[in-house]
Amino acid sequence: MDVKYKINRLESTNSIRPLVDKHWEGLRTAKAKGELVGWASGPSFIFPYAMGMKCHFMAGYASYCGGIGAADELLKAAESIGELADTCSYHRLHTGMVEAILKNIPINEQAKLPMPDLMVCGRYCTEQAHYSEAFYRKLGIRILPLELPFIFREEDRPRIRKFVLRQVKEVVIPTLEDVCGKPFDYARLSEILSVLKQTAIIRNKCWEFLATKPATWTLWDYAVSMAPVIYMMGDPKGIPYYENLLKELQERHKNGIPAMAPAGEKYRIYWDGWIPWAFLGKFMRKFTPSGAVCLTGRYPWEMFAHPESIDPENPIESAVDWLYGNHGIATHLAPKGAIGKIGELIEEYSIDGMVMFSSKSCRMWNLSNLDVIDALEKKYGIPGVVIEADMIDPEMVSDSQINTRLDALFENIDGRRK
Amino acid sequence: MEKVLEKIDEITSDPYRYVAHLKKRTGKKIIGCFPMYVPEELVHAAGMLPVVIWRGNALVTWGHSHVPPYNCGVTRTFIDDAVKGRLQFMDGMVFHVRQCLQAGEFPLIIERNVKPAYMEILYLPPLYEGEAIKSFLMDDLILFKESLENFSGKKITDDDIIKSIGIYNENRSLLKRIYEIRREKPEIIKAKDIMKIVWSSMLMPKEDNNELLKGLISKMEKQEIKPEPDRLRVILVGGLCQTINFDILDIMEELGLIIPDDDLYVGSRYFANKITDFEKNPIKAIANRYLKKTPLCPTKSVWDIHWADEAIKKMKLNKAKGIINVIVKFCPPHTTYYPDFKSVLAENNIPELAIQVEHEIVSFESLKTRLQSFAEIVGGI
Repeated sequence: MDVKYKINRLESTNSIRPLVDKHWEGLRTAKAKGELVGWASGPSFIFPYAMGMKCHFMAGYASYCGGIGAADELLKAAESIGELADTCSYHRLHTGMVEAILKNIPINEQAKLPMPDLMVCGRYCTEQAHYSEAFYRKLGIRILPLELPFIFREEDRPRIRKFVLRQVKEVVIPTLEDVCGKPFDYARLSEILSVLKQTAIIRNKCWEFLATKPATWTLWDYAVSMAPVIYMMGDPKGIPYYENLLKELQERHKNGIPAMAPAGEKYRIYWDGWIPWAFLGKFMRKFTPSGAVCLTGRYPWEMFAHPESIDPENPIESAVDWLYGNHGIATHLAPKGAIGKIGELIEEYSIDGMVMFSSKSCRMWNLSNLDVIDALEKKYGIPGVVIEADMIDPEMVSDSQINTRLDALFENIDGRRK
Repeated sequence: MEKVLEKIDEITSDPYRYVAHLKKRTGKKIIGCFPMYVPEELVHAAGMLPVVIWRGNALVTWGHSHVPPYNCGVTRTFIDDAVKGRLQFMDGMVFHVRQCLQAGEFPLIIERNVKPAYMEILYLPPLYEGEAIKSFLMDDLILFKESLENFSGKKITDDDIIKSIGIYNENRSLLKRIYEIRREKPEIIKAKDIMKIVWSSMLMPKEDNNELLKGLISKMEKQEIKPEPDRLRVILVGGLCQTINFDILDIMEELGLIIPDDDLYVGSRYFANKITDFEKNPIKAIANRYLKKTPLCPTKSVWDIHWADEAIKKMKLNKAKGIINVIVKFCPPHTTYYPDFKSVLAENNIPELAIQVEHEIVSFESLKTRLQSFAEIVGGI
């Protein structure tokens, strides 16, 4: 008899939406309160946060817009100024939002942001840097540039770390002091890192419940819980959020309640690439009826600070070491480093199959997806498929293509189990 | 002139055969340099032959087992060529991995499938202000030089680099001279032949190319041309990293357009900016050329100079009446710039047409119709 799978929803994650709404509301109202506003790309917002600036985070804001259903109208506004569909959808979403504000095109009020005083351009993703340049050209907004290369070879780590640290000291801090008209607030940076470290320690304990068999929660639950460890970093409200989450997970585990009813998952899946923010519900509905749960991935694991790399006593070094120190994560973004990292995740989370989410408008990982599958399939004997879609652009999501590939993956896993 | 163009056509119509033969003929190692900014002079100074990796001329087949179709032409054909073994004559390959996201994935795919004897990566930072950027760039170049020494077994002296710079600078001057002649009498040569001339420089030993170009220049200078003032002068902009389909250039000319100058990669961008002040510290001089903000390149993250302003300057210099933006399909550095480029041209009442060029041409007819409309609107042709 067929098992009817269903997700056991968590209670504690319900409290994230009000936290996130409040965060973005704080940004929307910042100008009215006389606060300086920054727009940041890449993991660079921690520096303006330390100066008390209200600061957006490009990917976080795009995911928020995707989550509240505002992406479609912003992407349409972008099209009206000549943005091409090949361009990163996060980029288009931003240029669309600015166009809508400038031309009074009606959009979701929650998607409107105040124009920034500074573009904090962390060039982690080379494409995301281009939107800062676009807003300089369009609006004359000052840019604070910070080149953040991925580490392609382990031997390059020391010189890249030195390079980034030097940029922070010679460019980032003096620019922020100039813009804000006050000395850099090292003490506040320490506080932010201290809160982040506490939050990340609890977050890591929560992660242990993704590794349990059956799993106690899912990657999608974690996806909606990311804000406190990324763009809300330093906000103490993140600590009770994760404490409550951990408590619920511990109780679930103790009472034998798995993430997937009735008795746990059939397939444990690795998810590579971005989170499909505008389509989370859609994707959950594609996995759940088959008893599949996504449990881990390169992006949710690696984009966020790990407690062992955070030392609030050395705030500047720590803000760099998060990415480039000995435990820094910038290696795993380069494809070669990724294979080793994904292999570790496959072992740690007892993964049965891989789904490579290939975003058509983002080429950060999609070129090497097939090679990554090939390498890991040979090593671990688990299959993988690529599904093509986008983080937020609905025109790039084809249901039938995705359904067919997921069915093939599940059948393949079944075949290997026999 | 025809003979020289025939020779160039022979080289560019089958670059695989040409480069493979070149290796046999010279006995030198071939190093494929991914476009657009690998400093070829250092490879040359190591006694090896740098060739710029090109967009292939065949349909992508095996390559799609490694690269999705929504990546640019040179990315897909390069991987396709590599995994099919069509680039086996390359002893080495060099990538600069921060140019765009696609370039960052090559090292893994090449290393796993068809690793050449030598593979190197460069980070080449964006043109941000500050000493940290310059110092990081210098480290990149010095490490590259050391790596080339290790592979070639030859110590690269400053004198070697200075000599190579001299040869490369001469090539830049010669290509510039060809462009000057074309500006004076654009009817003298077809746009596709100009592109082939620049492409030949990317493939040939620069010494040989210099000799070829000298012969060509002497003939071009002497050749008398009947001016065709009714033809509409336009400037082509973009075409980053790769050649564009020659048939597209032919269609433009058949429709009465004439191209006195361009801002294309396989065009004026390749030879722009000679290396200067290189006698004391040649590597620093190579770095300084890379740090030049013009011709503006969207991969280098420059924001205080506008690409559209530069294009307008070039248009006026050439007495052209419009700009055709040649956007390589799936080239994010260019597509992210396009709305601003278009908007500045509109503010200045400059006629502009954007065409997206794909490796696989979808339809020449629709392209022809758009070009024809543009020619009629702008030039009354």
